Amino acid sequence: MKKIEAIIKPFKLDDVKEALTDIGIQGMTVSEVKGYGRQKGHKEIYRGAEYVVDFIPKIKIEIVVDTSRVEEVAAKICEAANTGKIGDGKIFVLSVDQAIRVRTGETGSDAI
Amino acid sequence: MTNHDIHHPAARLEAARNTLLAEFTHMPADEFMRRHSRLFDAYFRQCCDEDRVRAVLDIHRNPYAVAALGGYGRREQNVHSDVDVLLLFDAAVPRRAETLVQEIIYPLWDIGIDVGHATRSLTQCLTMAWQRMDLVIPLLDARFVSGDPALFSRLMEIFHKRLLGERRREILAWLAETNARRHLRFGDSSYRLEPNLKEGLGGLRDYHTMLWIGKIKLGLQQARDFEYAGHLSHDEYRLFRRALVFIWDVRNRLHRRCGRKCDQLYFQSQINVARSMDFRPLGGRKPVERFLAHLHAQMDFIKQQHFMFLQQYDPRGKKTARRARRTRFDEIVVAADALRFDVAESIMKHPALLMHIFGESARLKIPLHPEAKRIIREFGHLMKTPLIADPAVVKAFEAVLKEPAPTFNVLREMLNTGFLQRLVPEFREIVHRIQYNAYHIYPVDKHVLRTVQTLKKLGTAISPVSCPLANGLWKNLKQRRQLLWAALLHDIGKGFPSASHAATGADITRTVLKRFHYPEKDIDLIAFLVRNHLMLIKTATRRDIHEEETAIHCARRIKNRQRLNMLYLLTIADSLSTGPKAWNEWTAALLRDLFLKVANIMQHGELVSHRAVRHTENKKKAVLNAAATAAEKKRVGAILPLLSPRYLISTDAPDITTDIDLYHQLGTGSFVWKITRDTATGTRTVKICARDQPGLFAKIAGTFTLNHLNILSAQIFTWRNNIALDIFDVHPPPDVIFEKEKWETARRHLAAALDGALDLGAALRNKMPSPARIKPIASKNPHRIMVDNHSSSFFSIVEVFTYDFPGVLFSITSALFEAGLDIWVAKISTRIDQVVDVFYVRDFDGQKMDDEKSAAALQAAILARLPDIE
Repeated sequence: MKKIEAIIKPFKLDDVKEALTDIGIQGMTVSEVKGYGRQKGHKEIYRGAEYVVDFIPKIKIEIVVDTSRVEEVAAKICEAANTGKIGDGKIFVLSVDQAIRVRTGETGSDAI
Repeated sequence: MTNHDIHHPAARLEAARNTLLAEFTHMPADEFMRRHSRLFDAYFRQCCDEDRVRAVLDIHRNPYAVAALGGYGRREQNVHSDVDVLLLFDAAVPRRAETLVQEIIYPLWDIGIDVGHATRSLTQCLTMAWQRMDLVIPLLDARFVSGDPALFSRLMEIFHKRLLGERRREILAWLAETNARRHLRFGDSSYRLEPNLKEGLGGLRDYHTMLWIGKIKLGLQQARDFEYAGHLSHDEYRLFRRALVFIWDVRNRLHRRCGRKCDQLYFQSQINVARSMDFRPLGGRKPVERFLAHLHAQMDFIKQQHFMFLQQYDPRGKKTARRARRTRFDEIVVAADALRFDVAESIMKHPALLMHIFGESARLKIPLHPEAKRIIREFGHLMKTPLIADPAVVKAFEAVLKEPAPTFNVLREMLNTGFLQRLVPEFREIVHRIQYNAYHIYPVDKHVLRTVQTLKKLGTAISPVSCPLANGLWKNLKQRRQLLWAALLHDIGKGFPSASHAATGADITRTVLKRFHYPEKDIDLIAFLVRNHLMLIKTATRRDIHEEETAIHCARRIKNRQRLNMLYLLTIADSLSTGPKAWNEWTAALLRDLFLKVANIMQHGELVSHRAVRHTENKKKAVLNAAATAAEKKRVGAILPLLSPRYLISTDAPDITTDIDLYHQLGTGSFVWKITRDTATGTRTVKICARDQPGLFAKIAGTFTLNHLNILSAQIFTWRNNIALDIFDVHPPPDVIFEKEKWETARRHLAAALDGALDLGAALRNKMPSPARIKPIASKNPHRIMVDNHSSSFFSIVEVFTYDFPGVLFSITSALFEAGLDIWVAKISTRIDQVVDVFYVRDFDGQKMDDEKSAAALQAAILARLPDIE
């Protein structure tokens, strides 16, 4: 099992969700996050006052899938979240030791 | 003892109770509760009559009584509420009382009844209550059930005389404090989406508290006495009772459904309860929405009555003797720290007083007396056209609307008394209207009032936002009145099912404000705000705000800074008043970023002026009309949305058509060009359509210079599909006889340069080195290179003022390329020998060049490529 963490642009969430539903991904965890990478923050000047946006709002999606599906899922996210511009985001893939469904106690792939 | 004995009282109770529970939904809740209580009464009586209890205790030697407490005492026994009883003994609790408990109470536990019991002697009962206030309250509802009636009477007599007589004030104070704490903890159930039927504001406990205060302070015996003793009018009591019966009914059904005691009405239970109560869909509203709206209305009524009662019979009984203030109206007086009508008859003569009392309440910050609220409810119907359009009434209402009211909310009082609905009848449709979605936690009416309130808190010490921008905008806002109207009406469309509540709301807003004879200009503004109140938040969360077009699109719809400011403030107040999920730092950051970008576009207005927008639209139409066939129209139509606003503004319609043709010729190639001859000046215009790549502009400029094509002016545009359209005006090649061949050579050079096969820099150095010095013809100003990072949110703007020399454009653009900058827009012009070049650039990642160090480096790099001035 692997956990896929994707940081994407906020307005791309619906596209990504739809794309993943299309390939049968049943669930995901979504959070509103802020940060920066190569797309640095910027400042805006309004009536002489400077407003600095140092952390840019992004969406983080977390999905745990069977190892065999990692490439497919990551590719789908890439495709759906792509605008060709800076700040499109990143995808991280992490190993997951175990998954347990709380209600039934099922473990491993059955639980995801 | 065995329960299985069908003759045991517990078995009989269980059977009778099951029969009653099977049909409880077919009778009014109060009747069910009475019958339910009676079953328990019967049980306790049977138990006491039974031989085995008699065998345990001799009532003559050990007098005892069973008393019902709490809800059971009031004969309001809900399905799974605790059955509270007191086993009362005369002198001391005999040792054998334990056996009595086993005989009476345990069987109830065995059949799944939650019984709360206390075994106490008369003295114990009173001493304990003397020490602990929370033990006083159950005794208020105590009712004799079985055993020795004289014993029970003695308890009550001493309780009333000693306890209530001597410690009345303390008990009332404790009650008031507990009441306030409970409200704080459980919140207002009259608009919660998952209300607590018992403890929340508007819940059953509010009624209990009224009853207890009534019993302690006014000597009431039962709920009916509220009316008999004149504390509630006949109608009020009727509605009060109706509300209670409904809440009891919901509670019983909830208990039944959960199979246990449960007072919080969670989402998952609501649908079932609504269905079982026969709520049906109506006018686009789901049964569960109608159910909850009705429940809220009932709880709201209880809440109102509760507060009016408390205000009138303040349990602490203190009267603050503040200096009585005068109102502006003879008919409205201040008495006992509340506003009331001097004589109710005056209202018949001057119904406008109904509005003025609210105006005075806002002005003097004095609440309305319950009696005045009662009168407003009863006489509210007098408030109708033309009176509601009376300038004095409208003015008084606006004073209420504008009154800075951090703590004291007159508008809410207007809603509670139904008066706001008289003034704006459309409001009725949103009262108690539930919104079932992940964001809203308040019904529409409460939400819009909160929105108004939130706006008024901005810029004050209790401002809900820390961002100085929003607070400052509100403080400096001149059109507060209009914005507050928009806040009040922004969701009015939700009362009238349609595809877009914002659009419907804008139409209703017009109707409402026209009725008040509002100036057309204000109506337009307010209706605009209502119609577009979701635009910014939707754009911020669903569009790419780092794309200039997004900001331009918003700016064009909003049109001016005042409207943008108001829309931004409305968005913040609306989101803040929706619920915790609709507003957080994250959303705030996105929204503010969008606001600043749109404000910036507006400030440098060439892209958003009314004319620019109109021209652009006309041009698009003309281009579409110029397409001959349907297929052609479709092809053109697909390209139009990709054209950038700057391109559309500065290009004529016929040129757009030819440019689109050129784009279609591009196919999969790297570039195509089209050369036309200007018959008047003899110059050539070269239009190049190319796939954009870093350095494209420099390569074209270099190619022209290499081929002795002198560049007079140039413009470049980047379309949204990453296509660059570059337009150059050049002097034709010196030798016009072989012009066609010359162009062909240039074309090959450009193709090679784009492929990377030709190093233009090297080729140019070999062929025509840049001059070391130039001599300006007229003025002798030094070169000027300016980097402007403020004017655009999306580009750094580089302006170069220099003098013409062969290869000037290639030199500058190469410097930009080497600095890692991509040219998105360029305007190149040459006048005699003076060159003014403007470039809109971003780095290859698409970001502005924000830091001053790289700006200075760029200036130095460009300067190094320019010849010295002689």
